[in-house]
Amino acid sequence: MEERLYDLIFILRPDTPEADIDKVISTLEHAATEKGGKIDSVNKWGRKRMAYRVQKLREGYFVYMVIRSSHGEVVKELERRLKVSDPVIKYLTVRLDEELKRQEKLKRHRERRAARRPRKTVAPAPAMAGAEQAAAPTA
Amino acid sequence: MAEENAPQQQSHGPSSGGMRSSGPGGGPGGPGGGRPGGPAKRGKRNFVRKKKVCRFCVDKADFIDYKKAEILAPFIQERGKILPRRMTGTCSRHQRWLTVAIKRAQNIALLPFAAEL
Repeated sequence: MEERLYDLIFILRPDTPEADIDKVISTLEHAATEKGGKIDSVNKWGRKRMAYRVQKLREGYFVYMVIRSSHGEVVKELERRLKVSDPVIKYLTVRLDEELKRQEKLKRHRERRAARRPRKTVAPAPAMAGAEQAAAPTA
Repeated sequence: MAEENAPQQQSHGPSSGGMRSSGPGGGPGGPGGGRPGGPAKRGKRNFVRKKKVCRFCVDKADFIDYKKAEILAPFIQERGKILPRRMTGTCSRHQRWLTVAIKRAQNIALLPFAAEL
């Protein structure tokens, strides 16, 4: 199976000490490598206001990571760990590779089109104005 | 809505005149064209409307990132509803991507499902 790319965002309680945050991240990293996945990047967004209250909290500590794996077991394990982890109040995993693939395809398509012929500008506005003027005399 | 109105009015012009002469039967088809205030209103509405353009097409966006709440925010109402295409001018393809992005952002508390009171 080909390799898949995932986004994983999780939110911790805002009062979590820095050491605990690092601990959560390192356990996740450990779990991912154990299952044959790989964490590409970890990005701490820090304390942010959430759009709605979660567990009566208005703020949360956001952590964003990109995971690479070739089977779904990794995601399953990470989500299980996030679920049982106490400081974690919310998490979301999104599969990204298909969208990236689509993005690439569109990009290539556009480049090819641009190479084939010079860009022409279409102006539909004058035609619209003409129609309205034609309608005016009947009033 | 704006684009739809113009042709409708054109078709109403002659038909309303015909209905006035025939008298009865104007009831069902009448409400738009038969109204006495109709022509005056149309005159007022006759300015050239600026055509709305899809913002994502202008930027040539191949991907709408759900993590950037600030670019999604203009496309939701104050109460948290997703704005329809006719309000924002987004093209259908980008509106589809936008909807998915907004829903993902809602799930991770970057955007509200509904505004809090």
